[in-house]
Amino acid sequence: MKYAVPIILVAVTVGLMVLGLFVTTQAGVPVGVTKGSALHTAKATTPQQAIDNLLLDVQRRNWDRAFAAVSSSSGITEQAFIQDWTGSDGSLRSFSSLEGYESRPLHATNDEAQMRVHLNFSTPVGPLEDVRDIHFIREGDVWKAVWPKVQVASVPAEVIPVTFLRWDLVTGSAGDEWGARNIDAPHVRIISMNAVDSGSGAVVMGEVTNEDTVPAFVTVNATLVDGNGNPIDEESSFDKISHILLPKQVSPYRIDFPNLHLKNVKSVRMDEKATLVPASADPVIGVMNQRIETDPQGKSVLHGDLLNQGGQTVNIPHVIASFYDSNGKVVWVSDGYVDRALLPKSSQPFAVEIPKNLSSEVHSFHVVVNQYSLNKS
Amino acid sequence: MLRRFKIFALIYFAATWAGLCSAQDLRVPGSASAGAETTVSTTGSGKATFYLVGPGASRKSDVTLGEDIHLSAQDMQTAGRYLAILCADTCHSSAFYVSAGKPASLSFIVHPSRVPVALNDAVSGVAFPFDQYRNLVLTPVNVNFQLTAKDTSLFSRAVRTQNGIAWFRTTSGKSAGPVRITASLDDLTAQRALQQVASDPCNLRITGQRTKIGILVQTEPVHDCAGNVLPDGTIVTFTATGQDGKDTVDAPIKQGIARAQMDSAGATTISAASGVVMGNEIRVGAQP
Amino acid sequence: MIPAKMISANTISAKTISAKLIAAKMPSEITRSKFAPRFYLFVAGILFFASAINSFAADASVQVQLEVKKAGPRAVEDLTQRGILRDYRLAWTSMAQAFEFNTFDPLEGPFSGEAKRWLRQTVTSQQQSGLSRRYTNQNHHVDAVFYSPEGDVIELHDTAQYHLQILDGSKSIDDQDVTVRYVVLMTPGADRWTIRQLQAVPQF
Repeated sequence: MKYAVPIILVAVTVGLMVLGLFVTTQAGVPVGVTKGSALHTAKATTPQQAIDNLLLDVQRRNWDRAFAAVSSSSGITEQAFIQDWTGSDGSLRSFSSLEGYESRPLHATNDEAQMRVHLNFSTPVGPLEDVRDIHFIREGDVWKAVWPKVQVASVPAEVIPVTFLRWDLVTGSAGDEWGARNIDAPHVRIISMNAVDSGSGAVVMGEVTNEDTVPAFVTVNATLVDGNGNPIDEESSFDKISHILLPKQVSPYRIDFPNLHLKNVKSVRMDEKATLVPASADPVIGVMNQRIETDPQGKSVLHGDLLNQGGQTVNIPHVIASFYDSNGKVVWVSDGYVDRALLPKSSQPFAVEIPKNLSSEVHSFHVVVNQYSLNKS
Repeated sequence: MLRRFKIFALIYFAATWAGLCSAQDLRVPGSASAGAETTVSTTGSGKATFYLVGPGASRKSDVTLGEDIHLSAQDMQTAGRYLAILCADTCHSSAFYVSAGKPASLSFIVHPSRVPVALNDAVSGVAFPFDQYRNLVLTPVNVNFQLTAKDTSLFSRAVRTQNGIAWFRTTSGKSAGPVRITASLDDLTAQRALQQVASDPCNLRITGQRTKIGILVQTEPVHDCAGNVLPDGTIVTFTATGQDGKDTVDAPIKQGIARAQMDSAGATTISAASGVVMGNEIRVGAQP
Repeated sequence: MIPAKMISANTISAKTISAKLIAAKMPSEITRSKFAPRFYLFVAGILFFASAINSFAADASVQVQLEVKKAGPRAVEDLTQRGILRDYRLAWTSMAQAFEFNTFDPLEGPFSGEAKRWLRQTVTSQQQSGLSRRYTNQNHHVDAVFYSPEGDVIELHDTAQYHLQILDGSKSIDDQDVTVRYVVLMTPGADRWTIRQLQAVPQF
């Protein structure tokens, strides 16, 4: 008697495992949202299994098997498929890995299906999400993905003279003669500041400008102070600012105070720090076709294209957008990384989200592009 | 009782007198100058240990009481308070001060290193006279300050030091370019360089024309209100608003002019800004 | 059959014996287990209090009062005033440590320029001569007399009272309360104000 219960439990567990491994569902029946912890099936007889197989192989970097899950009608080569996942040209994607995914069917018939997948990448700059709609077709009794042809920027070979200004910093070799090595730090000024409560905590945001004639490396810190003048917390803008500001350039900044609310805050003490830094005015990046739209997920998103007008590859472009109300006050600052490199004379799309509760207040916006190039000193 | 008291007093005074007869004493200089040799005189007889304790100096030597103790120039380089201590049976000490010598160098701090033109009280300088051992000279002396740009004197003033400091403050000049700032004291001179730069843009004006690939927009030569051309590298932000959306380009000034290529095909309104200064707005028609 | 009374008596005595044995075996454990919490709390409290006293004494031995009303041409900001007060006190504490123990390390942060040079020279010569100095009961009344327009240098006049003891090895050769006037120049460093010039004068 005393062994009966454990035996029953083990038997039920084994039975459920067998069922889970081998019983398949019929096509056309929605199976709900699945997260990226599915198992690889030998034969993908449903779109869900097909996407699970594909993404698990991508996660494991098992490229041959992953590409085998792609329909030959896609017209894409294995090389291009791999590059689409691994990135190139020192882009952010080339330093990222697929951490997980969530997929849901959009529609399905007996022979084709559309699956929406949320891909979660871990990157050196934090988690990055990508949403894709993948089309599946049934070939025989196996479902395969129709992979879109990757549009690779065609950059013609040419010589582009670089005539933009470049600044170098010479620290000098004089001894410790007091006052002899006097180069002032760049003069920067915070031109606006707005403190609000958001869902996740307090946020301080605004804009800062380089009023000097030399480039500046800028950081902005904020200290929340209570009614007694005691500091509650101090935070920095981290990467929500364009750190290198050329003369007269303006950048938004955003400083997050997680889990803090403004009801206990009497004042905000701002501290902007600027140091001299070597810099170049090249490349010039244009931000084109900026428009606010509602995306298929119902989110308010600022879309646009980054156009590299120079001759240098920008490996990791970073977009920071400030949103203003009708009075010109900064009501939000969003940022997003583009995980593809920006080749010379080519463009890449970008999108940054606007919080739902603020989208009706937004009257105008301004986008700046932070950039990181591997071969820049 | 009285007899006992008398005996006690006699013994006490005898002991004191005996002590006084053999007691050492030292006499320190009333004043001394940094780097100048001096002596400390001693009284008494016998051997003693002499200590000199001061800024930068900590010396111990065996001496003979009654002889002068020579303090070398090296012992006395740093201005400050010195303690001379003489120990035989007991220790006696005496303090004296060493003051700074005559000025041998000037430390000169000027701010800022870059300054917009025609800004009130924008340039300031502080000068400190030091002697040859880097002691601050506190005796009042006259320091002359001069600002020169392209051999033209912009500012000149003589200031007497107070507590070892002379300072000045003045308005920056009207023309952009390098400025030489000099502080001089007798035949001592310290020079610093300052760059006067153009102020904020004034009357920022742009023109645009449609090309095959979009709109080429450029500024007129960008000056400040005093007519100084803004330095290369200064960013001008061009914004083009049309039916397709908004385009912005941060373009650096090159040889006084900033240019940008905008992609817009339809009717477009273009504006420009540099820092917090706005320029004019232009309207460019759609591509035919 | 053993009478119940006898069994119970034996049992009681056996229990008593075993209790005694236990007590004999582990008297220390029993003592510790009985007193440990209070004992260790007491020891911890003593140690904490001692260190608190010690640190208080270390801080309390250097008193600094700073007056900035006479400073000009630039007015001394509140934050600057607090910074200078803190860093000046730290400088004197560090200097006292350096001279008492003949070590250079305390001089690294709070001093720069000439002041650092002559302080290091002092420590070197003390090491060579076997002398040391002890500064205690320091009281500094400091007046700011000049603050540059850009805020990059401040001149202070310090009327310092302290007890100075000069030691040759472990023998005290001089021991007195002194009042010394110092002209001090301080400049801002990366994260603190440092003393650049520290010059004793007979009067201001």
